[in-house]
Amino acid sequence: MTTVSRREILQASALSAAALGAAALAAPAMASPLDHARMLPEGLPPREFAAAVAELRAIVGQQWVFADADSTLPYTKSLIPDPDHRHVPSGAVAPASVEEVQAILKVANRYRLPLWPISTGKNMGYGMATPASSGQMVLDLKRMNRIIEIDAELGTALVEPGVTYQDLRDYLDANNLPFWLDVPTVGPIVSPVGNTLERGVGYTPYGDHFFMQCGMEVVLADGTLVRTGMGSVPGSTSWQAFKWGYGPYLDGIFTQSNFGVVTKLGFWLMPAPPAYKPFVVQFDEMDDVAKITDTIRPFRMNNLIPNGVLIMGAAYQLAMFHRRADFWTETRQIPDAVVKAEARKRGLGMWNTYFALYGTDEIIAAVEPIVRGAFEAAGGKVLTATEMSDNPWFRHHASLMKGGMTLEEIGIVRWRGTEGGMVAFAPVAPAKGTETRGQTALAKEILAKYDFDYAPAYAVGGRELHHIIFLLYDKGHPAEERKADACVREMITRFAERGWAAYRTGVSTMDLVAQQYGDANRALNARIKHALDPNHILAPGKQGIA
Amino acid sequence: MSRARSLGLTAIGVMAFTTLGALPFAMAAGAQPAQIKPGQTSPEPRSPQRIYAATCGYCHGANVGPVIMGRHLPQKAIMAFVRKGQGAMPAFRPTEISDTELAALAAWIERAPAVPKEHGQ
Ligand SMILES: Cc1cc2nc3c(=O)[nH]c(=O)nc-3n(C[C@H](O)[C@H](O)[C@H](O)COP(=O)(O)OP(=O)(O)OC[C@H]3O[C@@H](n4cnc5c(N)ncnc54)[C@H](O)[C@@H]3O)c2cc1C
Repeated sequence: MTTVSRREILQASALSAAALGAAALAAPAMASPLDHARMLPEGLPPREFAAAVAELRAIVGQQWVFADADSTLPYTKSLIPDPDHRHVPSGAVAPASVEEVQAILKVANRYRLPLWPISTGKNMGYGMATPASSGQMVLDLKRMNRIIEIDAELGTALVEPGVTYQDLRDYLDANNLPFWLDVPTVGPIVSPVGNTLERGVGYTPYGDHFFMQCGMEVVLADGTLVRTGMGSVPGSTSWQAFKWGYGPYLDGIFTQSNFGVVTKLGFWLMPAPPAYKPFVVQFDEMDDVAKITDTIRPFRMNNLIPNGVLIMGAAYQLAMFHRRADFWTETRQIPDAVVKAEARKRGLGMWNTYFALYGTDEIIAAVEPIVRGAFEAAGGKVLTATEMSDNPWFRHHASLMKGGMTLEEIGIVRWRGTEGGMVAFAPVAPAKGTETRGQTALAKEILAKYDFDYAPAYAVGGRELHHIIFLLYDKGHPAEERKADACVREMITRFAERGWAAYRTGVSTMDLVAQQYGDANRALNARIKHALDPNHILAPGKQGIA
Repeated sequence: MSRARSLGLTAIGVMAFTTLGALPFAMAAGAQPAQIKPGQTSPEPRSPQRIYAATCGYCHGANVGPVIMGRHLPQKAIMAFVRKGQGAMPAFRPTEISDTELAALAAWIERAPAVPKEHGQ
């Protein structure tokens, strides 16, 4: 939508002052959590909730506890389907320091108050800031926003959860430090800590964020402070230099998990290379995904193509800057022929594979003919800035592959309606053409059954691809929201029947995906959880761990 | 040399560049103190212009969200849109944009003239 309607403005103006956060307009009285009937933590009587809130306010200050429906509003916004309202937080508390986090955990243990930690809470397509079950209180770490250390010799960073990629970019620029960041496609408003803890991806040679992570500080549920890796050694000078430390490697158990609250995270920065050259390879048929996969595989294994490659489906690309109704007004899934024709009009292929070469002019000149030759032999059209510099999609990806700040892809969430609506299903495929062809066919078939379009991106890792299937629906339409929920569950279930499971999932399907990883895996996680957090106050249900 | 072998060798070259080969470029940063401790981010409110550039302007007027500059949208409505996450937009919380910052930002947007280079679709 390109306009804001008068109706929307009137509705918005009618929202209460508290929802506006309008301390600057008027000084609202502190709302009581008992003012209205509302979502509360399971099993916690209202009076005890109010008492817990009073204690939390004493720790962080009145204005950093959000415990009435109005002030909690910004934490409830989510793009994924939640037709039965199973993911509504009871409120939020926002500490400014590790000590405040520890004090909050003490209160939470005493009252059995479940807390859902977030860094920037922009987990879009996976539930944003909303918890795995209703009533949890969001532990919003955004105020902990210090860039603690940048080591300009080693190219390492140590940051708190509230730091965004934009903050870090601004800091590097202001201090003239010659490093690139590696961003997810929504860099400006999200956090390296939140993204890395979800094991998210980006598109430079440092695209596997957890691989490039080095050292963290964690507060356990009982308040114990732990530093992983070399960080455990008093006076260590190598915390951000060496990942593995001594003894069992611990960092992994704090990612995609509810075993602790991560308060600091270290990671590596890519030295800005003297030369950089982005490419796109276009293929015209849906089935060509197999050829693309088989052509890329050796180059990712031997690192001739060093970056996180994106194979972008045409529908995903079109949805960034267009609405469905621009091309197709029928309810049923938009046919391939229509997508292909509209893509072609805009200089796009059915699949658009973006990769880049980095180094010096000599390195790039040596590698380009090898890679180009392989893609051309497979039937692809290999294009560079020479042909594509005016193409907005090429410009977008050329910027991403050097860690540029952009939010252009958020446009896809309103493909079907102005309210937006999107949920990600992200199964892993081994890097073999038969596998990606099979996944694409199955996804298209299931989506078509529910009249949804197939808007895919494959993010290529070393020997596998994350098949990012963004199910785009209209959240302003309750029946469609319910249908989207059913559709994503069917995809998860039927993919698993073929041995394909998600690398990460939204809050509404965490249990379903955990089941697919089997009983032994679940039981081990449950034992670790119970040992570390016997009152189960940290993010119960996260990744299916109670 | 077989093709596979030559691929392998070049690959090592590229790997070395992006990891070990970092040295010459890191040295270039030697003008900076090696250890930088920026300390606590200033609690001073950021200017509306800065917040607009670092957040709003990535979507509004940039083909993603509707143009909001020069439309004289009421301050109160803008504040509510931001906190609620209007339509497809994410919500922004007081921990991201403080109440003081939001009031000033919304007042500034209400008064702002249109920006010719912005576009809506
Ligand atoms: C159009 C579009 C494109 C996207 N592109 C990408 C992409 O390219 N790559 C990608 O990876 N993602 C992508 N995303 C998904 C998502 O928006 C990003 O992954 C984003 O970085 C996650 O949000 P966040 O950084 O705010 O993390 P948060 O929402 O803060 O955190 C995510 C989760 O991690 C846990 N967590 C966070 N912080 C802590 C902590 N300190 N301690 C303990 N647990 C914690 C919590 O369970 C939390 O819910 C995209 C989304 C959209 C809509």
